[in-house]
Amino acid sequence: MAKSEKKHKITIQDIALIGVMVAVIVVCKEMLSFVPGIELVSFWIILFTLFFGWRILFVVPVFVLIEGCIYGMGLWWIMYLYVWPLLALLAYLNRKQESVWFWSILSAAFGLCFGFLCAIPYFVIGITDNGIRGGLYAGFTWWVAGIPHDILHCIGNFVVMLVLYVPMRKIMKKLRCSLQL
Amino acid sequence: METKKTNKKLIVGIAALVAVIAILAAIFVIFREKPVEGSKSITIEVVNKSSESENYQLKTDAEYLRQAMEEADGLTFSGTESEYGLMVDTVNGETADYNVDGAYWAFYVNGEYCMYGIDTQPVEDGDTFSIVYTAGQ
Repeated sequence: MAKSEKKHKITIQDIALIGVMVAVIVVCKEMLSFVPGIELVSFWIILFTLFFGWRILFVVPVFVLIEGCIYGMGLWWIMYLYVWPLLALLAYLNRKQESVWFWSILSAAFGLCFGFLCAIPYFVIGITDNGIRGGLYAGFTWWVAGIPHDILHCIGNFVVMLVLYVPMRKIMKKLRCSLQL
Repeated sequence: METKKTNKKLIVGIAALVAVIAILAAIFVIFREKPVEGSKSITIEVVNKSSESENYQLKTDAEYLRQAMEEADGLTFSGTESEYGLMVDTVNGETADYNVDGAYWAFYVNGEYCMYGIDTQPVEDGDTFSIVYTAGQ
């Protein structure tokens, strides 16, 4: 009974941990925002999902909200509402995986699909303006224009995960033990 | 045996990734908007905060909008360089500061919202570009 109650209760430690995770993601994003194709948001969302489980359900929305407050809630913000939760979901579904290569490939594939996923709102806007053909044209044109960025994003994500996953996994395991999670 | 299987999966995964990159690169080369070379007649319209419009008609060999804007006599603009090219915040001395009131300069080509930044927006003969001061919501 006591165990079950503990399971559903968000503790102060959880809140602090969620805050630290959001801070890490936001700071890393802003610090690397001038480098094309290199970002640590994907890396941290995957790692935090793997090691801190359900807390990512709070981390991603807060991160998205902060980004909206910093840059304004434009069309790009709609994309953030589903792109990052999708990555967290993919990480959660594959949480048993421990291979650095698996996570590097998944992270790279996500980077490669980023533009395609972000083209969806343009597709929807195009449909409302000019029907399905207009939607396909708008979405496709937007996606194609960003393919070089997607390829850079893919390579960046692959390298980041390949380099950082193993050392960070050790740190995260220690952290999880010391926090008794 | 297990290592062999893992290696095989790894090779398949990386090969699939490389194949998709190659396909995307091919799609980009085939379908990207290509600039038209040669002399083109275009119009650049600037609509300021007071909704006053100013037109610049020019003949240009510019392939992309930024160069055409630089060639337009009397049109001045500035902004900050970013990974996506120049982010214009000031046109003809009027600044739209998104951080202050959510205002920005919106770019349109032939009435449609530009899909590219000014450094990569292709210029074609007969195009009309509109640069519109857009107030924050």
